[in-house]
Amino acid sequence: MLNTIQLFFYITLRNWTVYKKDFISNISPTVADPALILVSLGLGLGSYLTNVEGMSYMQFLAPGLTVATALFTSFFESSYGFYVRMSYENVFKAMLTTPIGVKEVVFGELIWVGLKGALMAVGVAVVLALCGLMVNPWLIPAVAIVGCLVAVPCGAMGLLATAWVKNINQFQTVYSFLIAPLYFLSGIFFPIEQMNNIVRFIANFFPLIHGVRIAQALFWNKDILEALAFHGGILIVQSAVLCTLAYTQIRKKLIN
Amino acid sequence: MITASSLVKKFGDFKAVDELNLQINKGECFGLLGPNGAGKSTFISMTYGSVQRTSGDLTVFGYDPKTHSRDIKRRMGVVTQENALDESLTVLENMMIYCAFIGVAKDERKKRVEELLEYMNLMHKKDMPIMALSGGMKRRLVFVRALLGKPELLILDEPTTGLDPAVRHLLWGKVKELHNQGTTIVLTTHYMHEAEVLCNRLVIMNKGLVVGQGSPKELINLHTPGYVGIFSIENREQVQKIVASNNSYTLTEDTSGLYVRTNSLDELTTLHTKNNLTPLQIRPSNLEDVFLKVTGQELTADA
Repeated sequence: MLNTIQLFFYITLRNWTVYKKDFISNISPTVADPALILVSLGLGLGSYLTNVEGMSYMQFLAPGLTVATALFTSFFESSYGFYVRMSYENVFKAMLTTPIGVKEVVFGELIWVGLKGALMAVGVAVVLALCGLMVNPWLIPAVAIVGCLVAVPCGAMGLLATAWVKNINQFQTVYSFLIAPLYFLSGIFFPIEQMNNIVRFIANFFPLIHGVRIAQALFWNKDILEALAFHGGILIVQSAVLCTLAYTQIRKKLIN
Repeated sequence: MITASSLVKKFGDFKAVDELNLQINKGECFGLLGPNGAGKSTFISMTYGSVQRTSGDLTVFGYDPKTHSRDIKRRMGVVTQENALDESLTVLENMMIYCAFIGVAKDERKKRVEELLEYMNLMHKKDMPIMALSGGMKRRLVFVRALLGKPELLILDEPTTGLDPAVRHLLWGKVKELHNQGTTIVLTTHYMHEAEVLCNRLVIMNKGLVVGQGSPKELINLHTPGYVGIFSIENREQVQKIVASNNSYTLTEDTSGLYVRTNSLDELTTLHTKNNLTPLQIRPSNLEDVFLKVTGQELTADA
């Protein structure tokens, strides 16, 4: 058991080694994209929307951006990134000749996307807090929890996509029909209450909306514990289900 | 060290390994020969659990790879068929992370890696990205990777495919050295010469079945003893006439020429001196002859 945990950590370490090499270019889209959205939608569209749920549009928009960052950073890493290492570089073929097994490969990867999601969400939160969009900036470290809780299940969805696609182009389909709808229909850009009931119902089965709820609670300093307990609990259950599925599907790919 | 009995692996309806019985002993340099698709790599992957058998028995170091792959993998090193080096990392970083994977103590890692890089003449490339290495260097680095754990069992899955002769000879030297130091070696290849140079015992596989086994010498003596004279196809009529008149000759033909086999070298030189037929080549039978004979002509069709 100790051994397994150590090996998870080594997989994570490998990814960190790669990541820190190009730290600036790796971190820039995660921080720059939300900033861009904030400027274009927040300032642009925001000038027409003066009261959203009793606050400015910028304030409404801010929390969701941390969650979107966690979604993209984890999904792309475990879809395109993992796929390239698996199918083009065959890295796992060699790893599996060492004491590393599929379990370590998959969970090491998920721990990594969890950590990265936490780091990125905090990074974005810092930028947003500097813009004065966080009621209580002391809560910035807590954003790490949201980042991690969203990144892990979204990373698992990325791995499932990796197991599902027949070639790298098919990730586009996954993006268009799963990731983009999640991004746009999970209450980041407008209050989910105004959404069609069916869409709202379906959205609940995916991690993003629950992450948005927690992030909003943290940013607006409102009902934090309730949000963490309820939506956090759902995210943990979703993570458990998605990670188990990801493990069994990736195993089928790596062990014949 | 490795025992397989009635080992079967099916992919769908396709039998990649068919009722394989094998015993590989400690200290051997054992060869698995066969054309592409013969089932060699499938067998190799089964020994460390990356491919799971359909039926039959397989043990490595006395462990079943289905349930104890980690215990097995701790004691073996594998030169994988694809290099599968981590392109995002440098030479040194690649090897350091593998040291971690196989459990080399933290303060020993750097020393171990540098020793082996030195051994494979790669020290000067230590901080290079993988992309900057030539094919031969990448292959040598894969050898370094396989040796990091000081394995008792070293598996070489087509170790020299696609390499130039200089690198190939260098690697053969290293393999022999390791074998002399007591490492058990299992080698798959479709280069007969490589098997003849390195292996003390081998099996020839075709379509998942063992079609011949023994030492290179035993196999040659059993299947294609004696000598071969290769003649140009232009001399076909003349050669056919001579072979027909003397039953100590046998004749086969393929696109590269007419192969006349006989037990003594004299009989071949007679062909040359008496009949004024100039052979393209006269040589002792080798594993390639055995290979072509026991695998039949399917070789070229599937290769």
